[in-house]
Amino acid sequence: MRMDKNDHATIQAVLAGDKEAYGTLVVRHSQTLFRVAYRITGNEADAEDVVQEAFLRGYRKLEGFESRANFGTWIYRICIHCALDRVRHRRGDEISRVGDANDPELDQLQVADEKAGPERLVLSGEIGSMQQAALSSLTAMERTAFVMRHMEDCTTAEIGAALGMDPNAAKQAVFRAVQKLRRRLAPLRVAT
Amino acid sequence: MHLTEEEMMEQVYGESENTRAVERHLAACRDCANNFAELQRDLAALDRVEAPARDIGYGERVWASIAPLLPVYRFEKRRWWTTGLWKGLSYAAACALLAACAFYAGRVWEQKKQPSVSQAAPKNAAPKQPIVVVVLDDHLDRSERFLVELKHADMDSAAMVSPMRDEARSLLAANRVARKDAAQENDPDLTTALDHLDRLLAEATNEPGGLNAAAIARLQDEMNADGVLFEVRVLRSRIARRNGTGNIPAKGGSI
Repeated sequence: MRMDKNDHATIQAVLAGDKEAYGTLVVRHSQTLFRVAYRITGNEADAEDVVQEAFLRGYRKLEGFESRANFGTWIYRICIHCALDRVRHRRGDEISRVGDANDPELDQLQVADEKAGPERLVLSGEIGSMQQAALSSLTAMERTAFVMRHMEDCTTAEIGAALGMDPNAAKQAVFRAVQKLRRRLAPLRVAT
Repeated sequence: MHLTEEEMMEQVYGESENTRAVERHLAACRDCANNFAELQRDLAALDRVEAPARDIGYGERVWASIAPLLPVYRFEKRRWWTTGLWKGLSYAAACALLAACAFYAGRVWEQKKQPSVSQAAPKNAAPKQPIVVVVLDDHLDRSERFLVELKHADMDSAAMVSPMRDEARSLLAANRVARKDAAQENDPDLTTALDHLDRLLAEATNEPGGLNAAAIARLQDEMNADGVLFEVRVLRSRIARRNGTGNIPAKGGSI
């Protein structure tokens, strides 16, 4: 459909007035953005919205894109921010559901897990549910930092750069996330 | 000394700064080795969340959904002078041009103004006088007016006294400059007169009790005894003759 130019040439074309050329970049990077957006937001609908939002923001900021930078990295960071915004926006609702360790709903789930055998847990997919619940209990920043470190294999320096924080602060965010997750998923450890 | 959870986590993620030391410690310390193994198990249990697969047409669909929302970039937006470097250079050039214009306008204004002054000189047929002469005459003019005021000072009027003292202070500073010039010019008459004036002005300025009635009366006596006012008038006439006008020049009359 479109000529497969490299990203920089495509960007020049877009800035010269060829709006359709941006479609090439969208097609090229959509899958990657969806993956990270899904990992951070935890659901498909939000992830799809985040991907669209990221490409929209990217288009608006395209004039400020430094030619030395890598478009993939650049749009990935924008996507991280969009996902972070989405999780923060959603967080108010989630705190009321699975916000902290005293959440009765989660306690109930944990009690049920402990009574059930590990095979049943695996089969019912409740381990995954607990993991999702545990991830949801993190702050948006902790969750994003953890996803980037644990699932996207980003270094703390990359996380810091993407989230606009000192690498040490990024490391601390990951560390806090891991501590919280381990604490919340301790019942699973006993069950297995 | 055991490893902290943070150090273990750095080791798991391969970001430890002392990998070898941590490995040695783990090999030697059973507690830390157990904790480390547990951390590894916990992190391994936190499965990577695998995103649901998107089909090959996903990117096209994303594009189709956002394309109508995007404006077309106009080529004009990227004109060379809108880029950061050129924008900065343009501002700098504009500032330099403005400064140059202001400088040129100042020069033109000066050149236009100067002839009106210099043209006045030939009309008077007066030789050019050094600026210092006019400055001296100006000083003597002010001194004369001060002395006249002092001579006729109303001893009961405090309203007059305070400005007189300020004027005396101002004149004293100017007088010392004029006196120094006179000494360099080797002009004994001028130097003597300025000495008398200096003494009088210094007393008027530094009178301990201020310029009260008694002080003014004493200054008037000294002024009359030294004939300072007379000396100043003589000097002004001399300068007027030197200027070739024959008249005592008005203050700021010519340069």
